This record gives sequence, structure tokens and C-alpha cells, in this order.
Amino acid sequence: MPPKASFTREDGLYHSFCGLVSVGWLYQKIKDSFFLILGTHTCAHLLQNTLGVMIFARPRFAVSLLEEGDLSSAQPHIADQIEEIKREHRPSVIFLLSSCTPEVMKVEFEGLAHSVSTPEVPVLFVPASGLDYTFAQSEDSVLQALLPFCPVAPPDDRRVVFLGSVNDAIADDFALEAARLGIPVAGFLPANHFHELPPIGPGTVIAPLQPFLPRVANQIVNERECTLLSSLFPFGPDGCRAFWEDLAAEFGLQVDLSEREARAWERIKHHTDLLRGKKVFFAADTLLELPLARFLRAAGAEVLECSTPYINRRFHSRELQALEGVRLVEQANFERQLRSIAEERPDLVISNIITANPLIGRGVVAKWGTEFIFSPIHGWAGVNTLASLCTRALRRHAQLDPLGLDPVWTAGVMPSLPGEVIPLTRS
Amino acid sequence: MRLAYWMYEGTAHHGVGRIANSMRGVHAVFHAPQGDDYVTTIFTMLERTPGFPAMTTSVVSGTDLARGAIRLPETLRQVEASKHPDLIVVVASCSTILLQENLEIAARSSGVGCDVMVFDANPYRMAETRAADGLFTELVRRYAAPQTPTPRPSVNILGPSSLGFHARHDLIALRRMLRVLGVDVNVVAPWGASLDDLRRLPAAWVTIAPYRELGRLAAEHLQTRFGVPALCEAPIGVQPTLRWLNALVEHLNQVGARAAGPAFAPLTLPPLTAFSLDGMSAPSNVPWFARTADMESFSGKTAFVFGDATHTVGVVRFLADELGMPIVGAGTYLLKEADWVREQLQGYVTDEQFLATDEFQQVAARLADLRPELVCGTQMERHTARRYGLNCMVVAPPTHIENHLLAYRPFLGFDGADVIADEVYTTCTLGMEKHLIDLFGDAGLEDTEEKSPAGNGAPTPPVEVAEPVTRAAPALAAANGGAVAAAPAPVPTVVTPVWTHEAEAMLKKVPFFVRGRVRANVEKYARERGHAEITADVLLSAREALGA
Repeated sequence: MPPKASFTREDGLYHSFCGLVSVGWLYQKIKDSFFLILGTHTCAHLLQNTLGVMIFARPRFAVSLLEEGDLSSAQPHIADQIEEIKREHRPSVIFLLSSCTPEVMKVEFEGLAHSVSTPEVPVLFVPASGLDYTFAQSEDSVLQALLPFCPVAPPDDRRVVFLGSVNDAIADDFALEAARLGIPVAGFLPANHFHELPPIGPGTVIAPLQPFLPRVANQIVNERECTLLSSLFPFGPDGCRAFWEDLAAEFGLQVDLSEREARAWERIKHHTDLLRGKKVFFAADTLLELPLARFLRAAGAEVLECSTPYINRRFHSRELQALEGVRLVEQANFERQLRSIAEERPDLVISNIITANPLIGRGVVAKWGTEFIFSPIHGWAGVNTLASLCTRALRRHAQLDPLGLDPVWTAGVMPSLPGEVIPLTRS
Repeated sequence: MRLAYWMYEGTAHHGVGRIANSMRGVHAVFHAPQGDDYVTTIFTMLERTPGFPAMTTSVVSGTDLARGAIRLPETLRQVEASKHPDLIVVVASCSTILLQENLEIAARSSGVGCDVMVFDANPYRMAETRAADGLFTELVRRYAAPQTPTPRPSVNILGPSSLGFHARHDLIALRRMLRVLGVDVNVVAPWGASLDDLRRLPAAWVTIAPYRELGRLAAEHLQTRFGVPALCEAPIGVQPTLRWLNALVEHLNQVGARAAGPAFAPLTLPPLTAFSLDGMSAPSNVPWFARTADMESFSGKTAFVFGDATHTVGVVRFLADELGMPIVGAGTYLLKEADWVREQLQGYVTDEQFLATDEFQQVAARLADLRPELVCGTQMERHTARRYGLNCMVVAPPTHIENHLLAYRPFLGFDGADVIADEVYTTCTLGMEKHLIDLFGDAGLEDTEEKSPAGNGAPTPPVEVAEPVTRAAPALAAANGGAVAAAPAPVPTVVTPVWTHEAEAMLKKVPFFVRGRVRANVEKYARERGHAEITADVLLSAREALGA
């Protein structure tokens, strides 16, 4: 039994995005896919503002726009749009994503997807509505939709499947490292192409690379009777060592990576020197928070609070164990966090793209948590990137002339606060 | 239903957020799923706000819906406790509006002490602009109260707002001119205004509302309800600014004479040099600049303008009247303002040259067809122009972070005229230099073909630049989505004529930065005349016919 980790749950009034933002990396990861969101002007506006305008790159995602006249129809008609997408983009698979409005309209998505799905180009329903899913969470939904297309591996196929989307360089890194340790690899879920999905069966070991995939992990174990690796997530020297040692053990291999870990810490010494004793506060929303906080703690920082949208006692058990004693908060209340930040005066707040500038305006050194999602921080090769992301804001702010904190420099920038930005944490 | 890849206007709740974030003591609460909070990012990132934008999402989750719970009252209490606003504006989202909840009752049950207004912004019937203007007008109607006029001549400035296009810079330009005239500013709104400021609005002698999109309706209300005259023209360009100054002085003098009678000393326009930064130079360099020899080869360049209402009209007139540029097309994505824009541009563009659409693919198709030498548009036209290797400057929202620069760059007033003219000049391929290159070949610039010739130096994908219009069109059609069926974009479907080696070699001698356009024009010429092959002969006759 995993230990009873203690965390508090607040009312969820924090700043974040909905699950649709996962499309931003998934459409690039699965190169022959198309993501169709059944949604409104709001969904389209969200995507263009958070993912940037990617018209240039001919993005393989679009919004099937519900307008006023469509609200009364029982089931939206998307067949023509599916045909058009097939004609123009020739995808191997189309993901049909739900959003808040059709969810409220009680659109029957399974049936809708089924009605336009063909054996040649399956249309798969992906629950992603902002009513139920946040940020990276809808990758979990996408992978669940893909699972039925993973071939069933025979029981004697003892290989690992890495779970979670990572870029090609990281994937190569994991495949190489596994080969080095003598761990046979069946593949990655998701793979780069729809028809390259890995076989999964009772002999498979599922090794989660991303901490936001508890539901698909659970589903794989239930449906394919395979083994789920329970370890730390492969972030930072400590995480990588535990991950690979535990994974090797699943294959009956005893490996000692203590020296490897020590060398990795040594390589980032100039970062950990800076982090040691620093007070760090997590007010982020990417769902990477638990392993990041665990790494920072191992690097010598004092984690004042780690809040994250969701904590899963089983899927996150090893991380929770490593975070024992840290204040953990699920569904945080942001106003309460602001008060805690004012009282506890952290040296670094890992926040998000929504709140970073206003926090900096209050004299806090803040870092976008979002950047961790888009950076190659996995595995041994990612250690340096991870460490430097953690220290960059600290270094930059330390280098700038402290006179810049005078409120005069923000006077008039924001009409609702003409010249009255009051530093919260620095006197 | 249609496939959407990109929208010109933001949503209704974004419009509400713009007003709340402009004002002091006003806070917006979105009764919405958590993801609708994304609009906050647009403020914190584009405007780099040093404080928290005045908006909070009162989260509605699937669990809440299942339980029939509503968190709005508790959110209102939290907002009041932490932000102490004078007014909270509550607005539903595209999903929660379908629930048909009574938000008035929910808000009242919160027991908060400040004013609470449930703003009925139906996101299926209004987008950003209408929601912002609707809310602002409603606030002015609600709070403006009878006042004694200010003792000295004064004006209200209505329209500058958070995320307004170059709004802060325009406000500086207006304040500078008013100071020179010796006119006080009574209230600026919504930018920086409190509810008390809205109450004081009727004390002004005149209201200035330069933007068609925001503030005009409020100014009209102040005129009909309180008799404060409204000046709703946009002083974009030197001559419009002069006319605007004269009209303003006239309005003020009328008000002064009416109030004080013969005792009132009328205002007069000071020498124009007083409007310059140093007080002793020309207030704008545009009139002289436009007449210099340098502009001789420059002013014949064709321009296409697309944007909101105010800036489309202002920029078209400026380019035509003050720089002498031929306008080959103009339009707006604000469909409700399309008639007004068309009417304002009578004599500048024909009905065929006018475009009213909120689908960027149609604008792109028009650009592909026209190949203007200058595109003035929004962020989207900047992308389209890059795709076709056209020169583009952004003159209207929506903007990119690149349009939120630090230096003083107004669009209004004399200062604004200089800013726009400079932008035109640095965006277009230059005049004399072009002649030299035309005459002597590529001047060693061939290697830089992959760089954009003028402008910000951002690399342009070489394939896209070289892409002739007929090859680029399918890509657009792909992006066009369901819109094709609804309103077919003028995308040519004819076969691309084949270039012979000889003709291709001749084309190579055309300077690289106009080569794409020459290629497209020659192909168009060949298609129109049914040539399947472009020989040296066809190329020569095309150049002769097109004057290229």
C-alpha cells in the first residue's frame, strides 16, 4: 500500500487553460493526425492566443464552429468537414475533441465520432472539455482513444512501452539508454505515426514519462494485464536514477546508477549552488509540479508549497513519498496563494504564463511553468535544461539593477493601476 | 457550421475584460469553465501588465453542473474581499449561457456590498468589439450624472482602452495637442477611469471620441442626455488633424459663448509650430516629405488596407490624400461597420474593390490576386503577406506582441502622421535604390534572397516567397475550410503555365524582391491569353503590356 500522503484540496479558483491546449504539442507529435475541436468562437480564440498563430505551418487542427443556429440542432453535422479535412490534410486518424458548449448541449460524441469514422481513417472521440479537463490532461484522453489501436502483444513479449508524448530527440535518448542497460523496447505511446503504435500485452512493462496520464495508465493495466512501472518520473538526476533502476528491475536486471546520478549532479553544480537553500513556491498548473518540486528539493531548495491541479495517490505515489513534509495543495485558490507568497516571501515562484508578469510586478521572481512543458527536460540529457530553466529567472533578476523595482517604472503601463503597483514581497 | 482556423475579433467576454481592465475599481467575473480564463493571458502577455488584470473566472466544472452547484456568490465574495472593487461586472460564457441560469439572483444572494451588474453579452450574437462598446456605453448611461460645467474649457476623451490599438500612444498624442490648445482633460475613459470619473463626464465642454469601435455611443449619449457636444472624427493624418483641431476649437467656443456670453475670450489655434515636440518646428514632416523627389518613385506604389473601421478609413485616406498612393482595395472585418466604412471610402475605392468579411482566407485570396506593393492590415494580413512575399505593416487589431513596442508610436494627430509615414516608408521597398537595382541587376543582393527585402528583417521561408500565386492558392484553399462552400473565395483553378528555360533565365534578371510579383503577373497575363507556355516572347510582351 502506498503511504497516505497528506495534501489539502482547495476550491480551484486558480488561473489556467482548458485541455484543448494539449493539441499544441499532440498534433506535432502524431504527424499524420488531425485534431478537430467541436467548439465555439471561444475555443478558436483560445487556440490562436495560446498556441500562437500557426496558420503558416498549416496546422493540423481546426475548430468546427458552433454558431447560434447550430445550438438548437440535436446532433451537429460534421460529415462535410471530415471529408474536407481528409481531402486537404490526408490524415491517418482524426481526433474529435469535445469542448464546453457541446458538452452542455449534451452532444452524443461517441455516436457522432462513430458516424463519420471509417476503417481507413478512424475518427476518435477525445473528451477534452474545459468543464472537466485542464491543461495537459487531455493527452490522457487522446492516449485512451489510441489504446484500442495498439496491437495485442503475446504474453512472452517482455518489452517496455514508454508512455507519454516526448519529442524525437528525447525518444531516441530513452531508446538508447534502454539498449545500454539491456532493456528491450517495444515502442512509445503515442508514436510519431498512427500506424506505428506499439504492441501491448501481459508481458509489457508500461513506463510513464509524463505525470499527467493516470487514467490511460490504469486503463492499459486493466485491459492488457500488463505491468505499470511505479517509480519517480524521469526528471532530474534523482528521478532518472530511480526510473532506470526500477525499470531495469522489472526486467530482472540489477543496476546501480549511483555514480551516474552523482556525475549528473556534478554537471549542474553551478545551478544547484544557486538553488541551495532557496525558497521555492509552486503556483503552476501544468501537472508537472510534483516531479519538478521533488527535483528542486533534491537539488537543495526548500519547497514552501507545491500546488498542482490534480494529485493521484497511486500514480504519483513515489513522488508523494519523496515530497513528504512539503505542503501539497490540489485545486489551489490563487488569492490564498498570493497571501501565502506575501507572508512566506519565496525566492522563486513557479507560476504560469497567465500570472507571471503580475507576480513579477509585485517584486516576486516568477517563472512560467508552461515553459517546462515545452522544453526537453526528460532523462539524463534533459537534466541541464531542467536545472537551467529553474535558475534562469533567479540569475536574470539578480543581474538587473535593483533600482528597476521602483514602482515609477511601471507607472501608466496598466490603466487600471496608474502608477500604484505596490510591491508585495519586497520592502 | 464552418471550419475555423483563426478569428479577427475576440470573444464577448474578452471585450468585457478589456473594459474592466481599463478602469479603476471595476472587476469582471466570468461565470465560465476554467479554460475561459485564457483571456487573462492576452492582457498579462501583450500588455505585460505589472498587476493582475481586473478579471476573475468563477469556475464552473462538470461536477458543479452535475450537482447543480453554483460558485458565483462565493466568487463574488472573494473578489470583494481581495480586490475591493466599486463594481463587479458578471458575464456568462458561451457554454454557461446555455444553462439559462438566473445570474441576477445568484449575484444578489452573494450579499456583497459593491455594485454588481450582470451584463447580458450573448457570445453568439456579439463579439469583442460590440461587447466592449456595449458595456462601456451601459456604464456611462448608468453612472453619468448632471454636473456643473468646468470653469475652464475641458474635454472628455472616450475610447482609449486596454488592448486598444496603440491606445496609450494615441492618448499621449491627444493630451499633447490639448495642452498646446490650453484645454483641460475632464475625464479619460475607460482608460484609467473610476465610476466617479464616469459620474463627472457631463462636466466637460466637449467629448472627443476618435474611435468608431469604442466610445462613440457613450459620447452620443452625453450629447443627447446632457448636451455635451461630441467630436467623433479620428484625427488620422495631417489634414484631418488640422480640421479636427479647428472643429474642436469651434465647439469649445460655442460652449463658452453660450455659458459665459460676451465675457468669454474665444480660443484660437496657436501657430502650428507650437504642436511640435520642441515648439518651434513643423508639427509634422509629412507634407514636405510627400513632396520630396524621393517620394516621386515611391508614391506610385499600390496599397491595400484591411482592418477595423477607424483605422481602415483613416489609413486609406492618409495614403491616398497625403502620400499620393493608389489604393487598390480596402475593407473591414467589422461587418456591422461595413456600410459606414464603405460610405467613408467613397471616391477612394469602388464597390468591387471593397471587401467586408471576417474570414481571413478571403482577404488572403484578394491579396494573392492584387499583389499590392503595400499591405496595411492586422496581424493576420502580416502572415498572409509574408506567405506571398508582400510588404506589410500592421494598422489595426488584432495585434502580435511585435506590435506592442515601447517607444511612442501614436496613430493619431501630427505625431501619428509622422509615425504612419515612417512605417510606410520602411515597410515598402525603397524608391531610388530600386531604380539602381533595376538598372544594374541584383547589386550582389542575390545571396540574401531568403531574407525579406525590407521591413523587420525576419526571415521569410524562401519557398513561400518564390511561390507563385497559382501554386500558393491550393494551400489557402486548404486553410479555407468550410468557408469555401458558403462563399467561394476567388481562387483560380487554371493550370499554371510552364516557363521555358529561356524565359526562366530572363526572369532571373529581375531583382529578387519583385521577382515573385513579376512571375505571378506574367503567369496571370499568360493565363488570360491562353498561353500554356511562357516563352521569352510571352515574357517580353507581358512586360510590355504590364509595364513591368
